Amino acid sequence: MPPVEEIRALVGHRFPGGHYTIAHWENFLLTECTGAEPLPGDLAHPVALFHVPILGANTSIGEMFALGQADDDASIGIESYDWEFFKPLREELEYRIDAEITEADRQQANGRTFDRIQFRFELKDDTAELAARTTVTWHYRRRRAGGKRT
Amino acid sequence: MSMEVKVGDKIPAWDMPSVSAARMRTMAAILRDPNPVHWDRRVPKAMGFGDHTINQGPLGLSYMVNMLHAWTGPESIRRVWMTFPMAVLDEDHITARGEVTAIREVDGERLADCNIWLERPGTDHPLEGKATVKLPD
Repeated sequence: MPPVEEIRALVGHRFPGGHYTIAHWENFLLTECTGAEPLPGDLAHPVALFHVPILGANTSIGEMFALGQADDDASIGIESYDWEFFKPLREELEYRIDAEITEADRQQANGRTFDRIQFRFELKDDTAELAARTTVTWHYRRRRAGGKRT
Repeated sequence: MSMEVKVGDKIPAWDMPSVSAARMRTMAAILRDPNPVHWDRRVPKAMGFGDHTINQGPLGLSYMVNMLHAWTGPESIRRVWMTFPMAVLDEDHITARGEVTAIREVDGERLADCNIWLERPGTDHPLEGKATVKLPD
């Protein structure tokens, strides 16, 4: 289990940030995965608000696991996703993405120990207006000494 | 004529008859998601989930997005907040449902706040959350 000080020190960590454009093929396949028909015009399926901020911020799910020193990929649990849309997401529109870790601390519940880490991503469109914001809160479940996950 | 909606109204359900392992694999590639629980059955099996892969959280959430789109249109969603009490597995029959909890007006938009959730026969709700949508003019 990593020292709690290392987990708390993650607050304020900023990702490099960057830009992301949702390609038509990507939106088509993504929408198909949800079981829906393609949306009209250039609308992107809102489920894009999971991976677009992460990749656009120049990070990855793997790096987010590693920052929290996950025991293994399967040790991650989702507390919540909070998705705010100020404008509909669109294909072939470049978004500017900025991201940081806003909360990180150790918690215990029901005899289990986990580190609760919250990531916040903001997407701005080509007018520099905020198009969407997403707050991802994950639990990094920890093992007891001896290897059994709490 | 504006859409007639009142507190307590049920949102028309959206059905996913069988969650697809193939769609999870496509999703994992798009997301660059390295977690093997979504594409290698041996991993969730070792965790006690049987011979199934685990659906990505955003995919479960997307079933509720599809329900909301069918109800109020593809540009209507203003906010979705979601929790994930239980895993959704491939071959699960999942139904997205919701209920209106409040109607309010903000900046000239008529908004509906809703409780939304996924149902699976024989279990508690795998996903539960809240949404705000703009009601059609």
